[in-house]
Amino acid sequence: MSGRRPATWEQAGDEYDYLFKVVLIGDSGVGKSNLLSRFTRNTFSLDSKSTIGVEFATRTIQVEGKTIKAQIWDTAGQERYRAITSAYYRGAVGALLVYDVTKAATFENVKRWLKELRDHADANTAVMLIGNKTDLAHLRAVAQEGAAAFAEREGLSFIETSALGATNVDTAFETVLTEIYQTVSKKALASDEAASSASSVGEGQSIQVSAGDSGSLTTRCCAF
Amino acid sequence: MGGSVRPGRLIRMAQVAVPSGRATARWVSWDFVRLRISRIAGIRDTIFDIWAACSNILTEMDKKKAIDDTEPGPAPSRVVDRFGFIKPEQSGSPDGLPKGRSIHDREREERRIRKWRKMIGVGGSDWKHYVRRNPHVVKRQIRKGIPDCLRGLVWQLISGSRDLLLMNPGVYETLVIYETSASELEIIRDISRTFPSHIFFQQRHGLGQRSLYNILKAYSVYDRDVGYVQGMGFLAGLLLLYMSEEDAFWLLVALLKGAVHAPMEGLYQAGLPLVQQYLSQFEKLVMEHMPKLGQHFVEEMINPSMYASQWFITVFSYSFPFHLTLRVWDVFLYEGIKIVFQVGLALLRFCHDDLVKLPFESLLHALRNFPEEATDPDVLLPIAFTFKVSSRLEELQKEYQKGPESSSETSSIKRHQALISKTMSRGGSRVISNLTADKK
Repeated sequence: MSGRRPATWEQAGDEYDYLFKVVLIGDSGVGKSNLLSRFTRNTFSLDSKSTIGVEFATRTIQVEGKTIKAQIWDTAGQERYRAITSAYYRGAVGALLVYDVTKAATFENVKRWLKELRDHADANTAVMLIGNKTDLAHLRAVAQEGAAAFAEREGLSFIETSALGATNVDTAFETVLTEIYQTVSKKALASDEAASSASSVGEGQSIQVSAGDSGSLTTRCCAF
Repeated sequence: MGGSVRPGRLIRMAQVAVPSGRATARWVSWDFVRLRISRIAGIRDTIFDIWAACSNILTEMDKKKAIDDTEPGPAPSRVVDRFGFIKPEQSGSPDGLPKGRSIHDREREERRIRKWRKMIGVGGSDWKHYVRRNPHVVKRQIRKGIPDCLRGLVWQLISGSRDLLLMNPGVYETLVIYETSASELEIIRDISRTFPSHIFFQQRHGLGQRSLYNILKAYSVYDRDVGYVQGMGFLAGLLLLYMSEEDAFWLLVALLKGAVHAPMEGLYQAGLPLVQQYLSQFEKLVMEHMPKLGQHFVEEMINPSMYASQWFITVFSYSFPFHLTLRVWDVFLYEGIKIVFQVGLALLRFCHDDLVKLPFESLLHALRNFPEEATDPDVLLPIAFTFKVSSRLEELQKEYQKGPESSSETSSIKRHQALISKTMSRGGSRVISNLTADKK
């Protein structure tokens, strides 16, 4: 069957079960690009350039026996750039909202970013709050407990990371990807039940997909 | 230093080290008092750093010449390239220095400099006269590349910034010293993230970083609607490598306010309206000049915002080899923004046959990492000039400004959002075929 898939969906040696689009957002200078390069290339640069517009990278991981490919869009943090970057929130199944633990203002702005997500992203987007730069312990300005409590109130996952020290970076991405996977598979299951009892598919969009030689099948779209 | 130092190079080095006597005298900084005290030492250090780096380049050039003249040997380890960028270890990237420059090349370069000096006159005194009489000669010469030692001066002449400077004595000083800007923190945060690999901007609170800060702060006060936007630093930084702080400021003003060409402030105003317009125009030009590739982009859901925003926002100064950036800027300052469209099209044309075969991810990667051959200005610019885009750009601009209501098409931004949204959910369709496959 895989041989019949459109060639554009994969390249040789690039097999995966799921493809999830994730966006990295948060104030300028909190370390989004370095979190991305740490996760996708295991590199960190102390003198990196500020991101202009959007950047893009991917990494494939295993979650509960499934191969999951994360397609990650890294966005410029400055407010003015939202004119370009907000388009990338739409359709994203996950968002990593980053602040800098040494700069209280970047944490205070988290609320504005959440509003931004609510305005532009889908309601089901899994959001993880990330406090980055924990290696600068002596400069810490945002307490872990306070941020964790905030995340809980807002229904976000939460973790503190250091892209420089490679601390918790993989865990952060893996957590959000697992969360997305679980939501997707739960939805799939629910829809299966709905479909088997010959009722309409619930809130998940129902779309027609021509899948190889099995012809036209009514299935579910997992990108929320 | 050896006898091989050409006068032109010496002048440029001096310009880099201390932008100009005037600017140095007026030079102010973040913490005015503190830095005034450490100023002399700071400048001396920076001069020393750059001087050391420059001697290094020249020594290496001599060494290289010796090697070229004798037999191939291991390449000497170099610290910075000819433009002052610190080279990554074991990098094979070109620094724009032609390998094995012959005596013939050097003589030709010297003839070119002499020709340019004649065109310009002393301190630019003959320039306007010459341009009026020989506009085509000037255009041709600029397209060939302005000699590096005269670049700073010529850029100021062709951009109209020299006139602005003369008409506004003392204004820059006032903006830097007496005004405060709401963007100060934002600017400071980005200072070390602008040309971080250039020796002039590397030293924390060094001359380069302070000048960059001053220009950006001054501009954010000069035009409070624009303020400071990420990307402006690359324009200012590039200019600072070729002229004094005050000269660079007025050139930035000339560009954004439109002294000679259409104003570019829309690239940075709220909503980034000009970025949106340029991307929309570029998308249409791609479709018209390379329909096969344009169609491939549509099928793969590649939108110009994914790869070309930086081209326009920083006029190719963000991520392209510096020797290409300079050649693009020569033409950009004389002919206007259309060169960015032309160079963008030329990059796509050069890689066309590869690009049309690539699927989404590799395609996006290719569009952000052009091969070395594609970024050689002597290859790329001649291709760029074959694209005649001026009148079409005007038509497309009118079409764009009419807006989505009067146009049968949806606006670029809406299509853009729809496209990206579609791209996002394509993964979903993919998942389904897999789930189905699993069940079978």
